[in-house]
Amino acid sequence: MSGALPPTGDADDAETRSGVGEPPTGDQVRAAAALREAFTRLAPQGSDAWNFLAAFTHLGDRYGPYHPGASALSDAVSASRIEGRRTGALDRLRPRRNRSPRPGDGEKTELEEAMGHVVEAFRFLSARVETLEARFAAQDRPVEGAAWLVPARELGAWAGPIAAHVLACTPGGEIVHADCGEGALVHALRERGAAAHGVEPRGAVALRAIEQGCSVTIAEASEHLASRPEGTTGGVVLSGVVDRLPLHALLPLLAQSRRVLRRGSPFVVVAEPVAALAARDTSAQDLVDGRPLHEATWELLLRRAGFVEVAPLPDGSGQDRRIAVSASAPS
Amino acid sequence: MSGIHHFVPVLHRGDAVGRHTLRLRDATRARGVDSEIFVDTIDHDTADEAIAVLSYPEMARPGDVVVYQFATASTMAPWLASRSETLVVNYHNVTPPELMAPWDNHLALGQLRAQGDLRLLAPRAALAVADSAYNEAHLADSGFAVTAVVSPSAALDAETTASGNDGRRATRATGRGARWLAVGRVSPNKALESTIAALAVTHAQGNADATLYIIGKPATDSYVNALHRYVAELGLADAVLFAGHASDATVASAYASADVLVVTSEHEGFCVPVVEAMSAGLPVVAFDQGAVPEVLGGSGVLVSDKDPYALAAAITALLTDTSRLDTVVEAERRRLAELNLGSAADRFVDLLLPLARSEASST
Repeated sequence: MSGALPPTGDADDAETRSGVGEPPTGDQVRAAAALREAFTRLAPQGSDAWNFLAAFTHLGDRYGPYHPGASALSDAVSASRIEGRRTGALDRLRPRRNRSPRPGDGEKTELEEAMGHVVEAFRFLSARVETLEARFAAQDRPVEGAAWLVPARELGAWAGPIAAHVLACTPGGEIVHADCGEGALVHALRERGAAAHGVEPRGAVALRAIEQGCSVTIAEASEHLASRPEGTTGGVVLSGVVDRLPLHALLPLLAQSRRVLRRGSPFVVVAEPVAALAARDTSAQDLVDGRPLHEATWELLLRRAGFVEVAPLPDGSGQDRRIAVSASAPS
Repeated sequence: MSGIHHFVPVLHRGDAVGRHTLRLRDATRARGVDSEIFVDTIDHDTADEAIAVLSYPEMARPGDVVVYQFATASTMAPWLASRSETLVVNYHNVTPPELMAPWDNHLALGQLRAQGDLRLLAPRAALAVADSAYNEAHLADSGFAVTAVVSPSAALDAETTASGNDGRRATRATGRGARWLAVGRVSPNKALESTIAALAVTHAQGNADATLYIIGKPATDSYVNALHRYVAELGLADAVLFAGHASDATVASAYASADVLVVTSEHEGFCVPVVEAMSAGLPVVAFDQGAVPEVLGGSGVLVSDKDPYALAAAITALLTDTSRLDTVVEAERRRLAELNLGSAADRFVDLLLPLARSEASST
């Protein structure tokens, strides 16, 4: 693998203040950017649950320490604040019969008591949200485990025939391949002058593709497709990912593919044949939710997802027994 | 009799600010000046060293100097700002909230409040002391008029730098199986993902024996979880070890057996692990960021391009050049001597005594 990598500078040239020597090549710069992006997407910012929690954190922040008594000073400050407030606006909101004489220490107005209940309710909800978030994080992106247990096969001999088919049908626009593996199809498409982009969830594999000149995003196919604008993509090829996703996750993936494709653009699925289930002698398969589907089932799924011209792709791959089903986005 | 008293929200014997505060108190007392440590929250482990802050008004004497150890937001800040004693702020840095916000809003809000506390204290402080020029610039930005720099007095108090590093010699000749080390709180400002990305590059380039040992207490679960997932996605699960919080002995052992300390922090107010590595004879490779270049003072290896390829290349280049390694380690030793950490507490007290005297003479 290392032999295929671009050079990284001569060790003898390094100086105490480094960053000198040979600057990173274009491929290395893109690989570094992909590595950064792969980590950035792991930050929880921006999710509804996160913002919800932030709102509650703000409430807790505003209404005092979560654990009363944790700080002697803050207790003292709070006590003086409450005392000072009793003669303020809240006092005027107290029912007249309770307003005089001045309430004793520790006595609260009805409004303060009600606010206390509301704040406690918010805190309870906040704790619930935290718990749900933790559970969500634990179950987040369950398909990744499958990606590691049963790594997607490279397209191998299918790369050439599929590249030819896609190029013959595309109305133009970038062609996306997921899981792209080490980028054989992306490379083949680029060699023929097409704009092609790979998507691969296994960072180390993606890194090899990037370093060989491919444009690759380290992500799950569903994540990447969701980020692409509607009706702009010149073709989508799915392989690998379709062998490990459970059926309930496959359907949204097909819908996403359909959404991003330009009118009349080609869509191809390359999947393991049903017979591969018995042939693949690995206990890891037991843990994988996805199961190979019959060719006819793929055709049905593609039609139900709104594709037209659904048909098996003629096998131009020689000994490779995988099935390939092609379709088109409606014109 | 007036005194020079130290205020800290909570006194932990095991953390850098706690050790520093204890050192300052002892150095103040050694000059024959009354000195106590006042805390907002009592830590049972240091209950015999600290006094509850609410006791201070009864104990206060005209001419007192109060030294506030500033590292986080606390009710202590507005409380001290409202008092009349001569105030000195010892600033240990606040991580910019924007670095924490994508990971932990609660911590980010705390940092935001801390920044507000700092601005609140600025017009009241007779002096503000930072542990680096980098931090001093932050003090000036926050409105402090009189500032000084004194290195942290307790930077090498933890017994984390036991001698004996022959084990690392074996890997130096070939650069294979290099043992990278990262030490410090596992927090977004440390940008450990950059170190991990550089390790991925090193593996991809055929040096699959290189390992990374990360020692430090997690600042927030979301960031640590993301690092774990990143490591898994890059296929480095067998090469990266997260040790979490570790004893001084474990840290000392890690410094002794590692080949290089890697620092890729986005923000560092001082970076104690750098001086610990210097003390242990361990070369440091770091991004040219925050106070790290200042602490290294021309020693170590700085990587100006924040790129995993540049970092990986710098580490490999260093570890495969034995004579350069020796030069770097020797330069680090000289720099450590220059920092003169052993006298830092006395130099700090030197700054405080004139304030106490001038205050005493005016009352």
